[in-house]
Amino acid sequence: MTQQSSGIFNWINTRLPISNTYERHLSKHPVPKKVNFWYLFGALASVVLIIQIVSGIWLMFGYENTEEGAFASVEYIMRDIEYGWIIRYMHTTGASMFFAVVYLHMFRGLLYGSYHKPRELVWIFGMTIYLVMMAEGFLGYVLPYGQMSYWGAQVIISLFGAIPYIGESLELWVRGDYYISGATISRFFALHVVALPLILIALVFMHLVALHEVGAGNPDGVDIEKYLDEDGVPLDSVPFFPYKVLNALVAIGVFGIVFSFIMFFFPEGGGYMLELANFEEANPLSTPEHIAPVWYYSPYYAMLRAVPDKLGGLLVMAAAIAILFVVPWLDRSKAASIRYKGILSKIAMTMFIISWLMLAWLGTVPVTALRTTLSIIGTVIYFAFFLLMPIYTSIEKTKPVPERL
Amino acid sequence: MIAAVGAPCGDYGECDTFKPQLTNIESLQLGALTFINHCYGCHSLKYSRWGRISKDLDIPEKILTENLVFGSDVKLGDRMTGSMQPAVSESWFGIAPPDLTLVTRLHGSDWVYTYLRTFYEDLSKPYGVNNMVYPGAAMPNVLASIQGQQVLSCKDVPIIASNGGVRRDEYGNDITEEKCGYLKTIKGSGKLTQQEFDDYIFNLVNFMTYVGEPSRSVRERMGWYVILFFVVFTAFSYLLYREYQKDYH
Amino acid sequence: MEDTLTTRRKVLIGMTATVGAAGASMAAIPFIASWNPSAKAKAVGGPVRIDVSKMQIGQKIQVSWRKQPIFIIRHSKEAIENLSKVESKLDDPSSLKIEEPYRDLNPTRSTSGEYTVIAGVCTHLGCAPKFYPEIQPQPWDDSWIGGFFCPCHGSMFDIVGRVFKGVPAPTNLKVPPHYFDGSILTIGEER
Repeated sequence: MTQQSSGIFNWINTRLPISNTYERHLSKHPVPKKVNFWYLFGALASVVLIIQIVSGIWLMFGYENTEEGAFASVEYIMRDIEYGWIIRYMHTTGASMFFAVVYLHMFRGLLYGSYHKPRELVWIFGMTIYLVMMAEGFLGYVLPYGQMSYWGAQVIISLFGAIPYIGESLELWVRGDYYISGATISRFFALHVVALPLILIALVFMHLVALHEVGAGNPDGVDIEKYLDEDGVPLDSVPFFPYKVLNALVAIGVFGIVFSFIMFFFPEGGGYMLELANFEEANPLSTPEHIAPVWYYSPYYAMLRAVPDKLGGLLVMAAAIAILFVVPWLDRSKAASIRYKGILSKIAMTMFIISWLMLAWLGTVPVTALRTTLSIIGTVIYFAFFLLMPIYTSIEKTKPVPERL
Repeated sequence: MIAAVGAPCGDYGECDTFKPQLTNIESLQLGALTFINHCYGCHSLKYSRWGRISKDLDIPEKILTENLVFGSDVKLGDRMTGSMQPAVSESWFGIAPPDLTLVTRLHGSDWVYTYLRTFYEDLSKPYGVNNMVYPGAAMPNVLASIQGQQVLSCKDVPIIASNGGVRRDEYGNDITEEKCGYLKTIKGSGKLTQQEFDDYIFNLVNFMTYVGEPSRSVRERMGWYVILFFVVFTAFSYLLYREYQKDYH
Repeated sequence: MEDTLTTRRKVLIGMTATVGAAGASMAAIPFIASWNPSAKAKAVGGPVRIDVSKMQIGQKIQVSWRKQPIFIIRHSKEAIENLSKVESKLDDPSSLKIEEPYRDLNPTRSTSGEYTVIAGVCTHLGCAPKFYPEIQPQPWDDSWIGGFFCPCHGSMFDIVGRVFKGVPAPTNLKVPPHYFDGSILTIGEER
């Protein structure tokens, strides 16, 4: 029996690289032995991706992508389908947790210089994933066709109108109607459930392939490839399986506690994850008093509002995302990790964190004169962090990076 | 520098706090009764089904169909689409009375609880009543006979000094001024006392909170088990992780 | 850094895997259960009521319950008396082979002595059998004594839906849950 099954295994293995892949990416894939909790969010992001795909497929069983049926079908899922509420809350909580985990993952990258040579492509694939996720989240948010879906989409689609010459016809083309109607919903649905997830999965795959080619970083920014044992394995590494898998399991356990706490006790997230206005069906004739994006877009929404010009606001918001792509070339520091960077980098990082959090808050509250001023200050600091990076990272004195982990 | 939006409960200011009791079946049953007798004539609960309410609220089907359900052709599995034609109601009230299935999720239970208790007599309005939470509400106070007459009144209130204390005159007495806009129920004009009426509305809003999300009590119960599971899982995987960490530490 | 599988490790792996597997199977429950008929499907598939007193004797009508044809036949006295005569031709005259809610109740197989209520779905491959009540030779049977004939694969049933010997259909036509309240027949619910 064993011989027979190993015979079958060999037959497949000579035709499909099972053992090779297993060894290369799991059992022998070397990862730095000393990392901290910041290095677990990548694994958690892939867990949430799976949660989103599975719960999303299940939501499709009950969802109706029509103007008349969309809102009611969400309540149908919540009430009439057995455990439909679990599946929907899993998906809505998952969306927020996806962004939370990815933001922490990206912040880890900034903190420890995960984009440093040779990991520039890993960073760029990651940033593209983030960009696609933002589109995916927006499209998904429109689908329940509540008031906030409608007016949120109205605001975002109107942004296209800021583009000179083609803007207005582009708006119309995106909607496929004179308002956000069933035509808009059905195309957003197809993009949300098929097109973008396909792109997302492909990008995640590329992100991981690129990562496994260059190897994972570490909080000290040490190049573990410098010291190898006689087999060419880095001395400061452990195999991915079982060591890092076990580490990820603990992370999944803790993450599960947080996730289920929110999902079962605060699925609305105080109105920041499921906005309360969305419990009313879309009404194109009445705007809610206060339109705010869900929390994960709010820093960029605050920037949009800070600029008193439609096209300008759009450009600033787009630039805020675009600038993240070129970070690998803005950072001129010899040290990758914040631990060995100079005081200027540390000040800049602190200012950046404060400005981002402030913008995130400002994006969710109604506008006042003071808040607009704060938004402008926050936006300036946000851009200064990146644009001045080539200067402060090259003039400051870095601490020596150790040779070994 | 305070935001230019009004207080959450309009002229009333902060809403009164409402803590739902979704496992208090008796309260939910009483609330359902009130809803169907006083609200369902105009407002539907169109995402909810009769049978679900019967099951969740422990109301036997027979009692439900004989006492609560309007119309003999209504089946237990049907949605509670209301008993009024939208066109008719629109001609009565100017707008169609909204569906109330999700109203507690849209405005919050606090808001609904406060709204229903803050109608007052105002003869300048078409229905002779106005509402503090939602001024100009196009809805009569259907519970007036139960609550009694509620009017806006004035009373003397202490003046608060800029240091936060009560301002006193030279004899040590509080200085008061007359302030208006307080709700006052005329005693004995309604079937219930104020406390009883508050309980009555509590049950109603409790039911409406339930209808907004019927799975909520199940959700909150299940949540603890799921969290407990993850705690146990974390504990074991942590022990395992520590055990394997010995290999490289 | 050798990977030694000590007892402690084996126990911890076993515990973690067990807890994990238990969690995974619990997590699967909502996903599996959500495929059950929803409250909407159950409402649409709820009981059907019909007044059968207006049926003529010997008439067969068809109602739809859960999008399934349900045949209701009002038998004459002679037809009911004749039922025992055809038993030699039947495979399972007492309906012992199928889950019958009303087994051996009446010759009609229903809770009423006059009406038969059966699902018009052939137990062979799901075609709808046709009703030929007349006692006269038919192309498929020279000594036809009235009953149902399935045009798809030639299965034959008597007038109360009991299957003949030697036909493809394995069992009698099914009796749906039902009850009579006077002349009001309710299909889809038992009392």
